[in-house]
Amino acid sequence: MTGGLVRKALAAGILAGAAGLGGTILWSGWERFWINWIVWFLFLLTVGLGCLFIVALEHVVGAKWSVPLRRVPERLSGLVLLVSPAMVPALASLPVLYSWARPEGLTDPVVAAKAGWLNVPFFAARAAGCILLWFIAHRILVRGSIRQDADRDARFNMRARRFAPVFMVIFGVTITLVAFDWISSLAPAWYSDVFGIYVFAGTFLAGLAATTLGVLYLTARQRLPGVRADHLYNLGGFLFAFTVFWSYIGFAQYMLMWYANLPEEVFWYRDRLEGSWGVLLLVLAAVHFLVPFFVLIPRAAKGDPRKLLWVAGLMLLAHWLDLYWMIFPAIGRGPLLGWPELSFALFFVCTALAWIGRAMRVGADMPVGDPFLREGLEFRL
Amino acid sequence: MNERVFSVLGIFDGAQQLVDAVPVVKTRVSGRLEAYTPYPVHGIEDLLGLRKSPVAGMVLVMGVIGALAALAFELWASGIDYPIVTAGKPVLSWEAFVPIMFEVMVLFACFTAGLGMLLLLNRLPMFRHPMLRSRAMALITRDKFALAVESEGAPLDVDAVAAALRAAGARMVEVVELPEPAGPASPRFFARFAGAVAVACLIAGTLVYWGVKLFPVTVPVVHMLDQPRLDAQRASLWFRDGFGMRMPAAGTVARGHMPYRVERAEDAALLVNPLPRSAAVLRRGRSLYATYCSVCHGILGDGVPTLTAAYGARPANLVSPQITGYPDGLLYHAVAAGKNAMPSYAADLTEDERWAVIHYVRALQRALNARDSDLPQEVAK
Amino acid sequence: MSSGASAWPQSALPESLRTEPVLLGAVTPASLDDQVLAHVERRPPRAWFVAFSVAAAAMLAGMALIGYTIATGIGVWGNNIPVSWAFDIINFVFWVGIGHAGTLISAILLLFRARWRNAISRFSEAMTIFAVMCAGLFPLIHVGRPWLAFWLFPYPNQRAIWPNFRSPLIWDVFAVSTYFSVSLMFWYLGLLPDLASLRDRTGSKIRKFVYSVLSMGWRGSAAHWRHYEKAYLVIAGLATGLVLSVHSVVSFDFAVSLVPGWHMTIFPPYFVTGAIFAGFAMVVIVLVVVRSTMRLENLITMYHLDVMNKVILACSCLMGYAYLMEGFTAWYSMNAYIHHTFRQYVAGSYWWAGWATIACNILIPQLLWVRRFRRSYFVMIFVALAVTVGMWFERFVIIVISLHQDFLPSAWALYKPTVVDVGILVGSFGMFFTLVLLFARVLPVIATTEMKMVLPGSQPHRGGATHE
Repeated sequence: MTGGLVRKALAAGILAGAAGLGGTILWSGWERFWINWIVWFLFLLTVGLGCLFIVALEHVVGAKWSVPLRRVPERLSGLVLLVSPAMVPALASLPVLYSWARPEGLTDPVVAAKAGWLNVPFFAARAAGCILLWFIAHRILVRGSIRQDADRDARFNMRARRFAPVFMVIFGVTITLVAFDWISSLAPAWYSDVFGIYVFAGTFLAGLAATTLGVLYLTARQRLPGVRADHLYNLGGFLFAFTVFWSYIGFAQYMLMWYANLPEEVFWYRDRLEGSWGVLLLVLAAVHFLVPFFVLIPRAAKGDPRKLLWVAGLMLLAHWLDLYWMIFPAIGRGPLLGWPELSFALFFVCTALAWIGRAMRVGADMPVGDPFLREGLEFRL
Repeated sequence: MNERVFSVLGIFDGAQQLVDAVPVVKTRVSGRLEAYTPYPVHGIEDLLGLRKSPVAGMVLVMGVIGALAALAFELWASGIDYPIVTAGKPVLSWEAFVPIMFEVMVLFACFTAGLGMLLLLNRLPMFRHPMLRSRAMALITRDKFALAVESEGAPLDVDAVAAALRAAGARMVEVVELPEPAGPASPRFFARFAGAVAVACLIAGTLVYWGVKLFPVTVPVVHMLDQPRLDAQRASLWFRDGFGMRMPAAGTVARGHMPYRVERAEDAALLVNPLPRSAAVLRRGRSLYATYCSVCHGILGDGVPTLTAAYGARPANLVSPQITGYPDGLLYHAVAAGKNAMPSYAADLTEDERWAVIHYVRALQRALNARDSDLPQEVAK
Repeated sequence: MSSGASAWPQSALPESLRTEPVLLGAVTPASLDDQVLAHVERRPPRAWFVAFSVAAAAMLAGMALIGYTIATGIGVWGNNIPVSWAFDIINFVFWVGIGHAGTLISAILLLFRARWRNAISRFSEAMTIFAVMCAGLFPLIHVGRPWLAFWLFPYPNQRAIWPNFRSPLIWDVFAVSTYFSVSLMFWYLGLLPDLASLRDRTGSKIRKFVYSVLSMGWRGSAAHWRHYEKAYLVIAGLATGLVLSVHSVVSFDFAVSLVPGWHMTIFPPYFVTGAIFAGFAMVVIVLVVVRSTMRLENLITMYHLDVMNKVILACSCLMGYAYLMEGFTAWYSMNAYIHHTFRQYVAGSYWWAGWATIACNILIPQLLWVRRFRRSYFVMIFVALAVTVGMWFERFVIIVISLHQDFLPSAWALYKPTVVDVGILVGSFGMFFTLVLLFARVLPVIATTEMKMVLPGSQPHRGGATHE
């Protein structure tokens, strides 16, 4: 497919999707519309944030093997810039989906007691603060890297190494806020202090999966010369390790709440284990843990482009499913897959791909100005 | 000398020299090539034609077996063999069985890797390998690299092999000989071995015997046996007289027995029989009378005893007109407090039992003082 | 050839970006053997004997007090209602936590192929084993009848019952015994080639016999190395899973309960992070002593200490996040019992313990942001000691403060440790350092074989240069 055809297809997809979104509002109602909006904007946001985290992690650790690959997550992190504005209309969803944003929701004394934290103005301020911090981080880490392509100034590396740890703190706080504010407060009486880490684990995995797909896309088109199976093996290793990490955190949260069986905690799981939601959870466990784990166990599989392609793709789907399973039950219905869900998928996926396509035209495919590029390309296991 | 040659070694200074030498030597000699290095040298395995290690596959299989075995055992032990409900959870609660399942999986997998590698694949420990006696061994574990051409049964042409090794760059060549074949085990050896086993058994048996005998009576284990408490029918130093068994304190009342406090027969005459004169009560009274009273007063209540005549006692004739004229209370007083030679039966009969006996005595009195009017009309004529 | 990229010479890079050497000076495999293995072959210096006497004395005192406890009963400790678990479980969690750093260094860093790990992996793995041994003491002696501890294992018995597999205390039994046996085996496998070196160097017949037996006849055959490397890598991967799971299972001891302040879902990753934190601090302390007294500064360089201090700093920030999450969620839960417990943490009878924890774990390690401090013996030892104390107090805060005032006000009471409690804790430190000192003189403290693998020029050119 030529570039022009792809661009036209994406444009068509975006328009069709937008039409579907309009149809959702008219025929399915605001509730259905907003719940899908939340799932999708969080999905793209977490993919972008995951990639930004990967970039910062590489600077904190000073890893050399990943330098040739770093432009991929840098470009993908642009999704944060695309999606953050989507948070603004999402504020309109608060009275529709979040009981604490409605006056009658405050009849529950537990929720009313939290009104100092769970109120629309403070919520909006927190969201705005997160967006601001993400924009600043993106500018320092990504724009600086792209500028380094031209000026080959090693001082960018020093600035990035100093800023990256600070970004880690920012990231930790903001991802926790996203988790608590947008996902957890759909059930405002519920609380789980590992929830931020759980969403982080999914975010990091989503970023890794997206990065892997990007790297595979570019290597297939010979746009990353010098990147070998050794580099892919490391990506596969990280995918494997953090699949285990996500499963561990998810299981720990579930098992602890199951064991103590406190009504104020367990209702959240009960809503997500009844009937078809329970079946969906089994599917989630299979695609998010079992399949990637067993496929990636053999050493050879971790560096195999075909297997990585399938596993990374499956992992992105699994991350979406994770968010869907956490968020959708808030409207009190079973898992739904109808025209609204399909149009949202079309709209957001095409918009994201179009945005990524735009990002791919900025800067070189590898950080050519980075002093450690050669060392990174020479990396062997 | 040629038949006793196990291998010919070429010693090289560095890994690079060793790796360069392998293809050179391979072309010039027959015989199996083996390398000895102070640390693993990458790439040499392929040059020597070594197969891939099966460790990973073994570990995967044993790990899965371990996990399933542990889960199955836990489910069986806690859910089927001796089902226990813990914290209200269902007996087949898989969530609670996951941690042990995971740990046992790791245990099985790690021991397969470690012991499998050592014992199965490397056949270690092996103390009699000819290499261990060579002079080169000390060099190899320090910093030199050796390439060995081993004879596989067919004797080696030592000079030719040595020349090939020197041509490939070996600094030193050593011929490693097979050790003297160990002779068959002598009778003295077997005698010593048997003697050692016997001594070991003797020592072990003695230790175990005395250990098991003495262990329960060592402090603190003996504290379970030897508790500072009162045991039945044992002496006790807590009491001055040394008796563990004590009499009840004065005024102790046995359950079901109220103390009989009436002292004078005249006061007892006022007592009234509370039991109804029913067939059940009379049956009860009859069996009690037979047990307690008939030995002295006779089975018919006429003072013709079954037993006490031999002792010179003269029990009362209960069916005499005098005693028939007594009020019930006087009879009760005789039973409860005793009269003349008759002891008190208060300890043998409860209150109700005494009254039941009295009903029966009344029945006896009536039966042995029959009147003509008692006969049926037909017989009377 | 890549798109026009060429390697920048080190001199063109600003100083802070230059790769720091992992070794100093000219190190060859032979010089490595001579430098490291010599300590095993020579008599220890006087300072070692002094240190050993102090540590052994502390250990014996602790053992005597343990004997007194077992002979007399748990009543000689301060445990009572409501604080029925105190020093015993605090010390257990403390020591198990310290063990995790060793496994992280030897297993996880092996998977990341961090070359700097090779100089310190042997020592840290040994510390793991000794720490787990110290830890294992406490569950054993804190049960009323330790001689019946075998009841914890599932064996067919005439009582016809099984241990309660749903209890986290049984999970602990399996997790810690697995951790100990796997660590021991991993450590021993790593030692095999070094024991072979010792066998081939020694002149003494007794030593040669002992080393021969222990090294199992290792001869460095390439076929053996192939299986060995694979097994070592696989065990490293599995041990990584253990690092996460063992301390998570320990955290489940608390998190599955209903005690306010204990039932927090963040406990598993929080405890694991705390374990790595405390463990690295202990490793730093011991390594500073080792490198200076045994003159191994060229092998255990300032770079090693710098990186470890960075890990300590990172863990401190993660602990800060965890404390923040606990505090926030405690408020957010709107559960009166949890509110009360958290107020007790900072403003109750043990407020000083709560603040000591925060100061030692979060505030003091922030000194390590400064590069000069990361490389200063004084600051790094100060921070490491603070972290050790802080992490002990963190467990104290979690256990004692939560227990001493939980649901039933009529059961509220203060906890006071007895001399026996403190003595056993001191004894456990004595045991740990005794074992460490013995290890330092009996076995090679640096894995010479692994070090030889990362010397420059150690591998043939075909394999390539960088391993990062």
